[in-house]
Amino acid sequence: MTTDVAPRLLEDTPLGSKAGGFYQRQSFLTGLGFGVLLAFIGWLISHATLQGSNWGSDMVVTVTMACWVVGFNVGMGTFNAPIRWALGHDQSHEDELYAAGVGQGNKRYWKFCTDHKVVGTQYLVLVIVLFAVGGSLAMMIRTQLITPHSSFLDPNTYNAIVTIHGMCMIIATIIMVTGPFTNFIMPIMIGAKDMAFPRLNAMSFWIVVSAVPCLLATFFLGGVDAGWTTYAPLSVQAPAAMDTFALTIITFVVSVTVAGINTIVTIITMRAKGMTMGRLPIFTWGSMIGSALGLYAMPAFLLVMTMMITDRAVGTSFFVAAQGGSGWLYENIFWIMGHPEVYVILLPPVAAMLEVGSTFARKPVFGYKVVVASFVAVAALSIMVWAHHMFTTGWAPDLAGPFMLTTELISIPTGIIFLSVIGTLWKGSIWTRLPMYFVYLFLWNFIIGGVTGIYLSDVPADQFFHGDMFVTAHFHYTLLGGAMIAATAALCYWFPKVSGKMFNERIGKTAFWIIAIGIQITYVGMFWEGFQGMPRRVAYYDPIFLRSNQMATGGAYLLMIGWVVLLYAIIHSWRNGKPAPANPWHAKSLEWKVPTPVPLENFLVDPVVTSDPYTYGEQVPDGQNEPSTTPEPEPELVPAGSGEQSDTGGQV
Amino acid sequence: MSFEEQADEIEHTILDGKPFFSRPAGKIFIIWLVFTVIGLLLSFYLPHHILPTLMASTGTDVFRTVVVFSVLAAPVAAFVYAVAVYSLIAWRHKGNQDEPPEDGPPMRGNGPMTVLWLTVSSVLVVVLLVWGLAVWSSQQVSHPDTLQVNVTGQQWLWTFSYPGTGVESRTLMLPVNRPVEFNVTSVDVTHGFWPVSLGTQVDANPGEVTVIRTTPNMLGGFTVRCSQLCGLYHAFMYASGAVVTPTQFSTWLQSQGASATQASQTAQTTPTNS
Repeated sequence: MTTDVAPRLLEDTPLGSKAGGFYQRQSFLTGLGFGVLLAFIGWLISHATLQGSNWGSDMVVTVTMACWVVGFNVGMGTFNAPIRWALGHDQSHEDELYAAGVGQGNKRYWKFCTDHKVVGTQYLVLVIVLFAVGGSLAMMIRTQLITPHSSFLDPNTYNAIVTIHGMCMIIATIIMVTGPFTNFIMPIMIGAKDMAFPRLNAMSFWIVVSAVPCLLATFFLGGVDAGWTTYAPLSVQAPAAMDTFALTIITFVVSVTVAGINTIVTIITMRAKGMTMGRLPIFTWGSMIGSALGLYAMPAFLLVMTMMITDRAVGTSFFVAAQGGSGWLYENIFWIMGHPEVYVILLPPVAAMLEVGSTFARKPVFGYKVVVASFVAVAALSIMVWAHHMFTTGWAPDLAGPFMLTTELISIPTGIIFLSVIGTLWKGSIWTRLPMYFVYLFLWNFIIGGVTGIYLSDVPADQFFHGDMFVTAHFHYTLLGGAMIAATAALCYWFPKVSGKMFNERIGKTAFWIIAIGIQITYVGMFWEGFQGMPRRVAYYDPIFLRSNQMATGGAYLLMIGWVVLLYAIIHSWRNGKPAPANPWHAKSLEWKVPTPVPLENFLVDPVVTSDPYTYGEQVPDGQNEPSTTPEPEPELVPAGSGEQSDTGGQV
Repeated sequence: MSFEEQADEIEHTILDGKPFFSRPAGKIFIIWLVFTVIGLLLSFYLPHHILPTLMASTGTDVFRTVVVFSVLAAPVAAFVYAVAVYSLIAWRHKGNQDEPPEDGPPMRGNGPMTVLWLTVSSVLVVVLLVWGLAVWSSQQVSHPDTLQVNVTGQQWLWTFSYPGTGVESRTLMLPVNRPVEFNVTSVDVTHGFWPVSLGTQVDANPGEVTVIRTTPNMLGGFTVRCSQLCGLYHAFMYASGAVVTPTQFSTWLQSQGASATQASQTAQTTPTNS
């Protein structure tokens, strides 16, 4: 029997020299090495057998990049656990502790690590990298468009950059809140020790990492000139870059599916005692509903990209009109994914922003139940609106009316989000710290983005605006001005818990103002371009559009500076910021009740919850029990099968 | 709070007790009024100045829709902005920013307010929908004297042909005040047939013929652009067009190779000796 009084944290468990097995030797470097090696082998074999056939180079590229994805993940150790289980040599408890990062210090961030907090941090870095890449591509686009006929980029390079800017940002915005914060914060928020499937969690991260080189490889294989939506038949004719683009999507969908299942199962099965669904913080609901919607929508993306590869590489004709196929088939399946996808992007950040609003107005989330219902309604309706992206394709004109109806209906539950935010502000005690700044900016931007969406939902008006810069301005206002700003609020809010440091608010507020003004100049300029009749995705334009383009490009440079200052604030604060207390915002949800830095198992004792985290202003003791720092005494050991009950220390 | 109590609370907020304009609801009302007026001014001033000259019935539809939707959106946007601005004026914690302020009131929601909000937004949706459906169905009406024009898109130019005249041209000429029906197709990838100033467009799809209808109602030149990314020179895929008098149209058809009879039949002018 131990005579220690202080609890021993799980992360301090000493491990044997063999703990972890292969994991000990695996990291990002071995992932890279194996990925390149297997890709090379795949290329050798496929080139030798297939090059010279009709669709040879498409098959070669597809096989090579698929080998990269598999090889990278083999080298990372993504598949170690299921392979060992299949071989009858399952991981031991020590192996699992090693996999959770015990005893490895900061090296665990470069490895396959099952601790949800490590995975969340890894996702945060990935998201920042993706935004940096996508943002640089955006700056190249806007630089090209400073003058009507620039010689900065040739049309093929320009079109390729437009495509990858779009796809890179789509990936980044889908994972920007669910990756870092649903992973890091949500399990603590519901009183759990980790996600339901910690290994799948790490798997989802490394799989999406392996997709990124597939995406960037497009630049070296001729470039995809069809925009991120890669409409057929143009994309069927694209160079081999399109095959690696399709593989990027397929890989990404696998990652998102794995992550989505993990999120939903965790929330349903791993809540602490007393954490009923009705007491869940709103961020948890947003994460769950967003993930569920993604599970519905993303397989359509995987499907349409698989059909694209087969049309290109093996001679199917899903999308080739000359052989009986149809471009409309592509467009329909694509948008069946593409519209729900924007709500997969929007719901988690909005839900996170509602947490921020509540904390910094010191009031409960206004209309919690109605907000949850509206999330469900938005998700349900979003699967019925897809053809509003196809109003001008000439497909099914009789369906214009029904799709106009469903699209305009979505504005009703979306409007509830606004009601909730302003209801939370109503008579609150507004604490204007940095996270709250971004909540106000969201309100401003998302009204503009949402209202302009209504113009587009009107078929006669869409017949003017479709395919022009008005559309681009609309979705940038909603995705960047809305979702990404809400995600930035979430970042500033949870930064102290994730990094252990306080975010430098002086630099942060400077970045905020530059970003806020940069957004308006850039995208109002873009609305102006659209009203004037400038098409989107053009490398050159009629000189009548000069002034509006100058405005949009000027704004873009200012916006870029703002994001760079914010990045500087993140790095500077992470390295040199003031150490953060456990609950700097005096918030009431469970993640703020655990120490910073957060112990490996989050809670030393499983919490018991007696109310939701919105008890501001109520005359009750803090609703969610402070987890005790003294653990219950170890229960008496009782032989299995003896029929005696062991004392469980009062916990069920 | 029961529903009645909450309704009373709203009433109290808006009506009883202190003078209306010294309660939050009253002050927000004033800010809302100012924002709405600004929004309405923008709704009436901006569209005319930033849209291109719209030269057809569908263009007029676009213009009117933009104005009506802006007018309806202005008070909604103004309300959200007014509450946000007022919250920073009246409810902002001004003391030490390192410590949180006192908690606000434990308002978890307000049934009547939510019902009101949902009702107003539903009514707005119905109005928008009825407007849009009315405009859309007016555009589907077929007229007996419709001019047929075939539009073919290819990488990277437009060709227009006039059935019954044998005329094929890279320029789109249209007679004024006559309904026209465009039959649009592509010979390679998907393009977007967009005669911008006519205020309508439809994709050109390989293997399909898609149709849009409009009636040009103003003389003048316009540009046809491509609105669907179609590859390398998508940005250069434009054509010139003009809305002309029927006589000018007939003359032009003849200059493109039509016989006098064909030209006058298609242009619906009386035959002249050229």
